[in-house]
Amino acid sequence: MDTEPRETPQFIASLAAILAELWYALLELFLKVPGGALVLDYIRASHKNDPWRTLLEILLALVAIRYFLASKYSQDEKDKVELSEREVDELIADWEPEPIVPPLRRDERWQLDSIPLINGAVASVHVSVEDPKSGEISDNVLNLASKDYLSMSSNEVVKENSIKEIRAAGVGACGPPNFYGTQDVHVRVCEDLARFLGAEEGIIYGQDYCTPTSVLPCFLKRGDIVIVDGGVSLALQKAALISRSDVEWFNHNDLDHLEEILENLEEDLADGPLNRRFIVTEGLFENFGDSPDLKRLVEIKNHYKFRLVLDETNSVGTLGPNGRGLPEACGISRDEIEITIGSMAQALGSSGGYCVGCEDMIYHQILSSNAYVFSASLPPYCAVAASTSIHLLEDSQEEGKINPYLRPLVENSKHLHQLFRDSKPLRNLVVVRSADYSPVVHIRLNPDLRKSLGLPEGYGGPGSSILNAVKKGHEDLYFDSLYNTESYILQQVIDQCLKKKVLITRTKRVLHQELLPVVPELILHCNAKFTKAELDHVYKVVEQSLVSTFGDITKEDVAKYTSVLNN
Amino acid sequence: MSFNAGKFNPSEWSAHVPSAPTDDRPEEVKAEMEFGKLTSQKWLATAKYDAKKSFKAPIADDPPYFVVIMTYLNYLVLILIGHIRDYFGMFFTPQHFTAMLSKNGYPPWYASFESFYPRRLKARMDDCFARPIHGVPGRYTACFNRISHDYNKHFLYDGTSTECLNLSSYNYLGFAQSVGKCTDDSVAAVEERGTSAGGPTDVSGHADLLRNTEKILAKFVGKDDSLIFSMGYGTNAHFFTSVLNSKCLVISDSLNHSSARFGIRLSGAAVKVFPHNDMVALERILRESISQGQAKTHRPWKKILICSEGLYSMEGEYCDLPALVSLKEKYHASLFIDEAHSIGALGEHGRGICEYFGISASRVDIMMGTLTKSFGAAGGYIAADQWIIDRLRVDFSTNCYGEAPPPAVLQQINTSLRIIDGQLNGDEGKERLQRIAFNSRYLRLGLKRLGFIVYGNDDAPVIPMLVYTPAKMPAASRMFLKYGVAVVIVGYPATPLISSRIRFCVSAALTKEDIDRILAISNIVGDKMCLKFGSGMAGGEKHPGDWKKGIHPRWSLEEVLAKTPEDCRKEMY
Repeated sequence: MDTEPRETPQFIASLAAILAELWYALLELFLKVPGGALVLDYIRASHKNDPWRTLLEILLALVAIRYFLASKYSQDEKDKVELSEREVDELIADWEPEPIVPPLRRDERWQLDSIPLINGAVASVHVSVEDPKSGEISDNVLNLASKDYLSMSSNEVVKENSIKEIRAAGVGACGPPNFYGTQDVHVRVCEDLARFLGAEEGIIYGQDYCTPTSVLPCFLKRGDIVIVDGGVSLALQKAALISRSDVEWFNHNDLDHLEEILENLEEDLADGPLNRRFIVTEGLFENFGDSPDLKRLVEIKNHYKFRLVLDETNSVGTLGPNGRGLPEACGISRDEIEITIGSMAQALGSSGGYCVGCEDMIYHQILSSNAYVFSASLPPYCAVAASTSIHLLEDSQEEGKINPYLRPLVENSKHLHQLFRDSKPLRNLVVVRSADYSPVVHIRLNPDLRKSLGLPEGYGGPGSSILNAVKKGHEDLYFDSLYNTESYILQQVIDQCLKKKVLITRTKRVLHQELLPVVPELILHCNAKFTKAELDHVYKVVEQSLVSTFGDITKEDVAKYTSVLNN
Repeated sequence: MSFNAGKFNPSEWSAHVPSAPTDDRPEEVKAEMEFGKLTSQKWLATAKYDAKKSFKAPIADDPPYFVVIMTYLNYLVLILIGHIRDYFGMFFTPQHFTAMLSKNGYPPWYASFESFYPRRLKARMDDCFARPIHGVPGRYTACFNRISHDYNKHFLYDGTSTECLNLSSYNYLGFAQSVGKCTDDSVAAVEERGTSAGGPTDVSGHADLLRNTEKILAKFVGKDDSLIFSMGYGTNAHFFTSVLNSKCLVISDSLNHSSARFGIRLSGAAVKVFPHNDMVALERILRESISQGQAKTHRPWKKILICSEGLYSMEGEYCDLPALVSLKEKYHASLFIDEAHSIGALGEHGRGICEYFGISASRVDIMMGTLTKSFGAAGGYIAADQWIIDRLRVDFSTNCYGEAPPPAVLQQINTSLRIIDGQLNGDEGKERLQRIAFNSRYLRLGLKRLGFIVYGNDDAPVIPMLVYTPAKMPAASRMFLKYGVAVVIVGYPATPLISSRIRFCVSAALTKEDIDRILAISNIVGDKMCLKFGSGMAGGEKHPGDWKKGIHPRWSLEEVLAKTPEDCRKEMY
């Protein structure tokens, strides 16, 4: 403090000299850096014109540096409450988490027992079923629960080739496709799928359910647009959700509504950037058993320059004269469908999922599709099984005729639908929701009957109490008592049928994961191997069970079922 | 050896991946190629953790500065050239960029920046990825020979293949076999039960084989019950939505696998990430999260799930399970352990990370794992207490919508589990477990002594050998292939930018002599490519304390081969 005034200037002068020297050294160094001279000239020139501008630019640079260095969580930091260590300890001692999953309620436990216990081959036409309570085994039950529509799983050629492959390459692939997990048979099945379906290239996945959630996010990012049919299966709902793109829903199979949405969007889209645009629908709906009007859909999407994603999980191997799916049935070229997703675990009698389309689209998946890059390859013998099924279908095809492998399935599906549609005793009890060509028969309670029983039109979906509970994280409210009861009554029908050696099933839905409304249904999967007599028997048994369960059901009966479940 | 080697004829090159040539060697020869016979009882070890010692994270050796600088420069040049090629390429040769340019009013399939890395960096070494193989990926794997004339855009095959020593497949216990009990049982399963599961478990039925395998598996890992799914990735991808919602918090290790990250994102839960294996940071996050509650509202979290992996596949490191378990119990959080790589590969009886650390499985809430790696099958599982599995059985969306595992895969899991457990084939399971323990320890110590930087814990069957510079990745991979060894190379984005690596996946199918050969080849590759940067701090020194004096471990190959097989079984490092 008491420094002498005379000494200060000298000290400052020497300091200034050092600083100036340093400054020049720095400048020289800076000039040596490539482009340094250019920057210096720029600063000099700008400073001469407008010193304030230099100041402003420096400030801007500082703000930018601060911004980049700032913690990503600074927003949270501000939000935090200051707490002492003791308060933290108290809060920790107080915290009581919910159990990792809500335990099954007493009135939900029946669902566990409703999973059929099969002994031996699960996918075959006749199975033996074990009673979960008594352990009794009933043999030779007609199986309408399996999705192996063409019985490819038990086809001797398919089995023989699969065994040959296991004898040559073992069971597992032991690696992701990009790291020595691609075998010759994997390449073959991709080629086979692409050729069979009429696409440029194909790619396979380890599980059908994972395929859409992995394929769609490759091509949909924030800012892209996807318009989804309001009846699609959970896998597609999740795929649209996870992609973080803008999702619009159109009423199930209502192409007028789709056009309306597209028209409304058109103006916005014309101005905005050229983002990616997709329409997503299914070839044969998992939830309804019907198909969109593909011809018109293709016209619409071409007119508005959208791309089409078609989930053919249920339709390949079942629709079209040779099982090439909905486009073959509608006489439309596969080129019109930009992305086709499907399953090898159903009609092809194997395991895994696939996607076919143009080369560019498939190539991108090899590098950026999560379920492809980060997962082990499909077991090689599964690839062989799918390839064999495709070859069997291709080898027996004839121009202008229905493929002999498919003909019985088509006839059976039609026959079974006819039986239920024409049924007099069932007229007021149930409606058949699926189309006649669908190998899956969807049977719902008649809407009038449901109304009279006090059952809602659907469960869950936008605005429902369950989705609200999910939003708020109230797990105890994930449960819908009426849904539970209705499903339980349907299970009674199934159990009665099982006693008469007919295994049918019902929609099993995880209500709190569904974004769209759900209606419980009885499901009958047709199979090419059923005889007419067997189907007539199935119909008789189901009819009897339905009549005895719903024949004179009243609101009070429904309440009785609910109280039975609680005891 | 190579198939049809005499047939080599350039005019027969084809752009199509050839089909597997017929292999009519006698069964014993094939069996030996898939699983080498144990050459001496000496070459066995037990993977067991000494509970008296506290868990020590493996030391990660640092490369010299010039390596780091060269690596960054390498990337800089690659990125610059990539951008220049993109810029001019899109202008002059748009036909090569069809997927990235809009056409007829349709937007591009993907943006050019989205695919910059794969097109401009990875494409240069595409010949080292997705090498098509045929046959059993066992001790040897048969890679098709291929060449490319257009910088890896297309490959040409001449129909021949080369059998390479297999350090690339996840085949820890060597169950990838086409002969033996497992295969016989799997073949019988196809004969009896067909090729498909016919649909989702809850819809099409819960097969006796599936029920039985689930019980065996649950007992093996020490839980009440389990669920088995047809895909490991899918198990993680759809597990979290069944248990979490937006009012729950996941505290996740920074190196967790992409499948778990995808699953957590799908569940909508909040996520906080702790640095890999940093238990201090985890505790800080736990304390803060519980006391602060949810963002903005400060309401308490409904659940907090700590999510970690048993063995990290890119690092070869275990999680610090003792610390994880004690933190989870102290703060009443739940613990999820992904045992994709540790189940079957760690622990005296192969029961995974819990057995390895001697911690009861009941202290981990959810045990997840895959069945691809140690069992030679496919799929994933969730094992937990009965009440959790009961809930998940009806609420796990894969059970209602996705295919169940096919019969042969289930049978493979079933039989291999019983072999590991000693119920079948006597001591075969024990031998496999002891061989992988020995092989892992031997190769890791050998590489360290030769002077390589190797990451990971001693007993881990994943051995990452660091090469740093991206250009050395493909070079090393090609050289290994030339010497007849198939290795996996991993670089950015699966690893941090600078730590590109070669990953050796050790298998019980390899013999001690195979490991000798790998060490010899690694020695040549390492010298030729200047890969030996080890300082000795992570082990491998001749005398304890050498690295502090600045003496780097650079044993000669002869010294390594002479001493390491014995030394690696001791607690040396």
